[in-house]
Amino acid sequence: MKNLKKIIVMLLVVLLISACTNQDKPDATDVKTDLTMGYTTEPEGLDPHRTAAASTFSVTNNIYDTLVGVTPQWTTEPRLAKDWVISDDGMEITFALRDDVYFHNGRQMTAKDVEYSFNRLKDAESPRARDYENIVKIEVLDDYNIKFTTASLDVELLKSFVYPWAAIVPEEEAANLKTKPVGTGAFTLKEWVPQQHLILQRNDNYYGSEVKLQTVKLVLIPDATSMMAGFQVGDLDIIPLTGDQVTMVEGNENYRIISEPMNAVQIMSLNTKNEFLSNEKVRQAMAMAINKDEVIEASVFGYGAKIGSHLPPTSPDYYDANNIIEYNPEKAKELLKEAGYENGFSINMSLPKNYQLHVDAGQVIADQLGKIGINVNIQLIEWGTWLSEVYGAKNFDSTVVGHTGRLDSYAFLSRYKSDSNDYISLTTGEVDELLENALKELDENKRKEIYKEIQVILANKLPAIYLQTPHTMLALQKNVEGMKIFPIDFYDFKDVYFTE
Amino acid sequence: MLSYVLNRFKSAIVVLFVVSIITFFVLMIIPGNPAELILGTDATPEMIEDLHVAMGLDRPLYQQYLSWLLDLFKLNMGKSYVYGESVKTLIARSLPVTISISVFAMAIAVFIAFFFGMISAIKKNSIIDYFSRSIMQLGAAIPSFWIGMVFIVYFGVKLKLFPVSGFVPINQNFIKFINSIFLPSVVLAIGEVGTLLRIIRSSMLDSLKQDYMDMAKVKGLGAGKIYIKYALRGALTAPLTIIGMQFAKLAGGTVVVETIFALPGLGRLVLTAVEHRDIVLLQGLVMFITSTVIIITLIVDILVMFLNPRIKSFHQGE
Repeated sequence: MKNLKKIIVMLLVVLLISACTNQDKPDATDVKTDLTMGYTTEPEGLDPHRTAAASTFSVTNNIYDTLVGVTPQWTTEPRLAKDWVISDDGMEITFALRDDVYFHNGRQMTAKDVEYSFNRLKDAESPRARDYENIVKIEVLDDYNIKFTTASLDVELLKSFVYPWAAIVPEEEAANLKTKPVGTGAFTLKEWVPQQHLILQRNDNYYGSEVKLQTVKLVLIPDATSMMAGFQVGDLDIIPLTGDQVTMVEGNENYRIISEPMNAVQIMSLNTKNEFLSNEKVRQAMAMAINKDEVIEASVFGYGAKIGSHLPPTSPDYYDANNIIEYNPEKAKELLKEAGYENGFSINMSLPKNYQLHVDAGQVIADQLGKIGINVNIQLIEWGTWLSEVYGAKNFDSTVVGHTGRLDSYAFLSRYKSDSNDYISLTTGEVDELLENALKELDENKRKEIYKEIQVILANKLPAIYLQTPHTMLALQKNVEGMKIFPIDFYDFKDVYFTE
Repeated sequence: MLSYVLNRFKSAIVVLFVVSIITFFVLMIIPGNPAELILGTDATPEMIEDLHVAMGLDRPLYQQYLSWLLDLFKLNMGKSYVYGESVKTLIARSLPVTISISVFAMAIAVFIAFFFGMISAIKKNSIIDYFSRSIMQLGAAIPSFWIGMVFIVYFGVKLKLFPVSGFVPINQNFIKFINSIFLPSVVLAIGEVGTLLRIIRSSMLDSLKQDYMDMAKVKGLGAGKIYIKYALRGALTAPLTIIGMQFAKLAGGTVVVETIFALPGLGRLVLTAVEHRDIVLLQGLVMFITSTVIIITLIVDILVMFLNPRIKSFHQGE
């Protein structure tokens, strides 16, 4: 019993000590240069040519550079290439490289490295290889000039050089890039402790304008509530924000929210091989029965933008197709009657249960369709099953899912080609020729017209019902400036700084 | 006795072998081709096929199994796809985290369970008995993710007594280490204390009814000696087995608590492996965790044998 007392006293002492020692905050006399940001998904290694994971590119975009950069407004800008010339026939592009770029290992970057990197991006182990099939020849003209030749005309070719997977890497470090990334970017990797954090350190030999942050610490916090708690106590300077958490940050003068529509669309994909869904009137009736505002409210707490076709509102080629088929449940019932389904019918809806956003949307839609007599049976499935059954084997009636975008509309829309073998391809072929033309049209305005036409066709034909573009949101402590949201899923810390 | 230990050992090895077969094949046939998952919704069938071949997944399953098993014998569990590091290194890094919170949590649970379990058995139907029975109910009923969040918001954000998440290794700063594992351990302990308390209470009640208790009282021994030396010792077998099982369960990864408190333990590693379909990592982890459970069970069985003379003599008679 005496021992017991001792143990209790000891435990209390430990408690007391631990309670008293958690307030060692450093004095902030100078402006902070160490940023801490929370993230939720571990990168799949840090080799940009060996993964397709967005979580990797969020990080690697700060370590490696691409030839061409992108602004938050979707325009391209020089990065490793200071200038480029596209031949008159559009089949060749020649880049003039900067001559003041050094890899983190101290060696100067030349055109040979660019050649090596693109060959590596195109090799068998690269998941993106087929995206670059069209580039058939890479010629090093001299140390700082390099020419790419394509097999067929692709007017959006320049954008292939923007994506973070088109990064330039040094050959001598290539074997270990997954854990020891070496690039030319504004930051070097200081350490990556799996499951805990990843620290980026300023590259003092960076060729670009001065980087103000000394280090960026990315802390892995999988749970949203813990993330918010870390932000509220001030451990984290920036966190990704979900719609339900906005009220916790909004109106507090210590915090700031930045928000942009994602470069993505949430759609309800329909299998046009299905007995009922093959009927265009049925699909239109369904689109009329769905109240997209309610869907947006339920799935992202209102932080999304309604869409009527398969391009997000931020895209330069976006056409507002929301008015083509508007919410009108009465007319929906009439259309169903015209189609011969006055008494309704039943379909299945396969929802990927790992994505709450799509599950929530699907449940609201099922309820709304029930009101016009369409009985929707929801089936929750694993993401892996979704990919093989729905996306791969096309064994589904309907589903709700997101499609993330590229910079060029062609990559976004090419799945609708009748021969694309995609799970929502428009088999009747109305957009085939238009897509071909878009790819060959050198005049930007004419191209926009073509994309507009495609969007209108999709909005009428409805191989999928277009729901919304959710917002990307970040919460920032008020002293953080310069953080921006880009049309490609990545973070860019080189212009971020603290005001106090 | 030695033959008993040897027999248990042999059966453990057979179980491990069976587990290796199940682990490998189940993970191979579950829906979700790793190549599809890596490529996502941008993939064309050709891209998936290419990557499938590049990852070596097109070889016959038995070939893949044999080469995996052979590596396993050499204690080589392969390289994780997500981290590009060897599975061994990753486990070695996560294990201390999980062990720390498991040990700490079990210490708390055992302490509380024995304290209240014994008293409520001795003073049956007293206020303390009612109180400890409510603890049992509560511990079993409260979901750990909820209590974890309440703790974070209250002790972390409001009172700022503890860090809201993260882990500090013991060799870096001892006090910060205790700080970082305290809340998660308490949450885990709350989940385990109920079962343990119930077992201790009932074994204690059982043991108090035994004849030798009357003998002890007649001999005029002090209460402390009666209860601790005689009653408790007799009542130890069942709780010990439960503690072993609970510890094995915790050591196998505490996914929920590690997720909420962002602790880099085994449970989180399992979750990451599942999310990214990192099959190599997942296979290594499942093998490691099942081996741990089997070894802990083995140790507990041997301990119980030492504590319980009946089992010992039974096996000696064999």
